[in-house]
Amino acid sequence: MSTAIEVEHLTRRFGAFTAVNDVSFTVGTGEIFGYLGANGAGKSTTIRMLCGLLKPTDGHARVAGHDVGHEPERVKERIGYMSQRFSLYLDLTVRANLEFFASAYGAHGRELEHRIGEMLERMQLTAIQDEVTGSLPGGMQQRVALASAVLHRPRIVFLDEPTAGVDPVQRRSFWALIRELAAGGTTVFVTTHYMDEAEYCARIGIMVDGRLVALDTPEGLKRTHAPGRVLEVRGPKLAPALDALRGEPGVLDVSRFGAGATVRVDPERLPGEALGHWLRARGVDPLEMEESAPTLDDVFLALTAGAQRGED
Amino acid sequence: MHPLVVQYRAVVVKEVRQTVRDKRVMALLTLVPLVQLFVLGFAVNFDVRHVPTAVVDRDGTVESRDHARTLLAGDTLDLKAEVRDEQSAEELVERGEASVALVFPPDFEEHVLRGSGARVQALVDGSDPVRSGVAADAVARHAALRASQHLREQARVRGETPPRPAVELVPRVLYNPELATAVYVVPGIAAMLLLIVTTIIMAMGLARERESGTMEQLQVTPLRPGILMAGKVTPFLLIGLVDVGLALSVGAWVFGVPLRGNLGLVALATLLYVLSTLGTGLLIATLSRTQQQAFVGGFLFMLPAVLLSGVMTPVRAMPDWLAWVTYLNPVRYYVEVLRGALLKSAGLPDLWPQVLLLAVFGAMVMAVASRRFRKTTA
Repeated sequence: MSTAIEVEHLTRRFGAFTAVNDVSFTVGTGEIFGYLGANGAGKSTTIRMLCGLLKPTDGHARVAGHDVGHEPERVKERIGYMSQRFSLYLDLTVRANLEFFASAYGAHGRELEHRIGEMLERMQLTAIQDEVTGSLPGGMQQRVALASAVLHRPRIVFLDEPTAGVDPVQRRSFWALIRELAAGGTTVFVTTHYMDEAEYCARIGIMVDGRLVALDTPEGLKRTHAPGRVLEVRGPKLAPALDALRGEPGVLDVSRFGAGATVRVDPERLPGEALGHWLRARGVDPLEMEESAPTLDDVFLALTAGAQRGED
Repeated sequence: MHPLVVQYRAVVVKEVRQTVRDKRVMALLTLVPLVQLFVLGFAVNFDVRHVPTAVVDRDGTVESRDHARTLLAGDTLDLKAEVRDEQSAEELVERGEASVALVFPPDFEEHVLRGSGARVQALVDGSDPVRSGVAADAVARHAALRASQHLREQARVRGETPPRPAVELVPRVLYNPELATAVYVVPGIAAMLLLIVTTIIMAMGLARERESGTMEQLQVTPLRPGILMAGKVTPFLLIGLVDVGLALSVGAWVFGVPLRGNLGLVALATLLYVLSTLGTGLLIATLSRTQQQAFVGGFLFMLPAVLLSGVMTPVRAMPDWLAWVTYLNPVRYYVEVLRGALLKSAGLPDLWPQVLLLAVFGAMVMAVASRRFRKTTA
């Protein structure tokens, strides 16, 4: 797999504040790369540097083969960018927006018409092309924004929280479009704070306080940062039993959740059946017990909690 | 087609579409200046006429009544009231019911007939200097006229040739023979309205792009700041030209402003002037974060620009240090070109310094705005 984005020791300081601190990673061509982090963790600053909007203080980054610090114009020709604000001209029609952004990248004449027609079709916007963009619901504006970001067929698209404030159904169909883009060979660099969306990414980088603290596939992250098995338990007299459970060997984490609780255990030291016996012996009977997989939420919480402890 | 041309055309088309869609902006660009020109052309009037006048005739003779009658016969002074004593006349002036009070002393006729220096007193309300100046002037001129008439009459009675005054002034007014204010004021108002409309529209337009996030979207495209600025400015240059055309038509038809000079020169100066005002608008936008700040910034520039341009008060009447400031003001040069070309049919040989300075100002402010724009975004 060839490399689309290459980041080495990238650093950006604003005065005494370091927004991005010595970050290095590579993204392969056609990969969907997720970038996760709390607000202010340095996601947007990283994206702004990769798009040539902001010069790095230190280190460098090559995007589509060009250095973002030295040749930002070359980089801009080859990338697409969509921000969470959708950044469209709300007083213009859908078509007028697409025409403007396509021509800003130099497309004109029959080529322009062809690309717009094709893009309207693909994003299912043909029927509303003459509507004023501001009158459209959020989900449609989001598709128009994506269409104007990829109309010039960039090799890499940067999506900065592209699904913020959009309902789950629209989010799902939006991700179908993103996967389609990647299948066509476009590299997708996306930031999000929805963990379910992060699962769609081939690899995920997690930013905490300006540092890239983890980088792996979703499965790899879970294995490393949220190991063990997660068991959801339900039953009578649960509360006193759970309190007693906390100190037992092999129990990694106990958290109450609705009428039941989630218990994460080290299966080597405490297999599921042993936990069942243990709970029944303390009066939790009938006991319902169901195994579930660890999620990226668990990973994220483990990493941010770790970073906070490290700071103290 | 060259990519730069494609990009430039894209920005122009986008600006035109946004402007045409926005009914308020369209009104601001066309209708509002015309209505304002119409209203201000009538309102800003330095002609002093029909000044309310109180008369206190304590003489009550043919001579005093005749003097008052002939003085009030003109356009300048109108009889408001006849009162018995100075005190009531002063009260009228104080209450603002009269601006001038004429007081004839009891021995007025006697002094006139004896030729021993008759006096008529004029009380003038000085709170409006222009008005009181013209009124006092009218009273003085009339007194001088009456005096010389009396001298001639007495000479004729005595059978002598009437004496001629040693120096006689014969004024002849060029370019604006009727001294009509509108002819002088309308070009100034046109320049002022153009300034307000173009500066504000441009400053607000760019500030709006920044507020709504489209500016950030523009910055990730390969569109260069110079092309973006040029594209944004172009439609408004043409609108400015149309506005001036409309303003001069109204000026000519309604206010009788002569269209004497080289209209091509007027068009050239208009383009350079609007380039300056649009560039200033862009510069203000790069200094503001929000549309509100851009709006306030626009006014902070426009108010002194109008006051220090010679539109309202002549530059010659300003103190030296302030007159120097006006050399930095594009409004001044444009008004000079308009008045020079339209009223005096002055051409490029007379007005080239103004046109050149407008070009220099326009190019400089656009360059600074582009530079600042690049800096604030990089």
